[in-house]
Amino acid sequence: MMRAMLRHPLQFMADHRFTLAHASEFLDGDLDAPQQSRVERHAHLCPKCAELLASLRGTVTALAGLRQARSRPDTDDVAGGVIARLRADDIDDDAPP
Amino acid sequence: MSEDPAPAPHDAALVARAQSGDRAAFEELVRLHADRLHAVVLRLVDDPHEAEEATQEAFLRAWRSIGRFKGDSQFFTWLYRIGVNEAHRLTSRRTRGGRTVALDEQTVQPADPRPGPAARVQQGDLRTALENAIRALDHDYRAPLVLRDIEGLSTAEAARAMGLGEAAFKSRLHRARLAVREAVRDHLPEGPDE
Repeated sequence: MMRAMLRHPLQFMADHRFTLAHASEFLDGDLDAPQQSRVERHAHLCPKCAELLASLRGTVTALAGLRQARSRPDTDDVAGGVIARLRADDIDDDAPP
Repeated sequence: MSEDPAPAPHDAALVARAQSGDRAAFEELVRLHADRLHAVVLRLVDDPHEAEEATQEAFLRAWRSIGRFKGDSQFFTWLYRIGVNEAHRLTSRRTRGGRTVALDEQTVQPADPRPGPAARVQQGDLRTALENAIRALDHDYRAPLVLRDIEGLSTAEAARAMGLGEAAFKSRLHRARLAVREAVRDHLPEGPDE
């Protein structure tokens, strides 16, 4: 890291800022090919950014795990409650003033 | 912004019937999407009764304005937008008393305390830490995280559901992820370095 930073300090810091700002887009594959390579190259030289990407990736994976672990609704029949409310609303609309 | 995929065929047919006043068709849409919308809203409001109320209200509003749905996005994306707004309306009414993380000030203060020795860290700790970190987020940051990372919507769909451009959405999502990562990083399993 030190060697890369000393050799091209301005480029290193520019890449560092870019990686910090676009780490999520990198993980989501939303950067174009040169930008993806820029982040990859920098993370190879910068342990701090490598750790950021690894922990951010772990966080996103853990968040996706919550989808599977979703708890069942209390009512167990959310749709039934909505439909009852819709029908009651229609009756209210039809009621004379 | 990239376009959403074409509307699901089954939804599209039901929406067309609902737009001509067929309430049975709309009730079928309710059966198809109620659980998923409820799960999203519950993540945004935290309270099961409020989540049920917001879900019902969202469908009621959707039914009343189904004629304005143009079909240029997925029905559920349009429905999520109504649900997210409804959840926001409910949570805005509450006094929050400093429960949320002030991401705008760049001073992320994780709500969850750091764990003890690494050997005691288990999967349950990670889940608890995640849930606490999500709850600590303000609505503007929580909703992108819930829609994109938990519900698995595409960036385009999730941005549309929040009524945001993709750039603004990505910025909020990134800051939300950074805040959650800060709160849970000691609970994450060790992985290989990049």
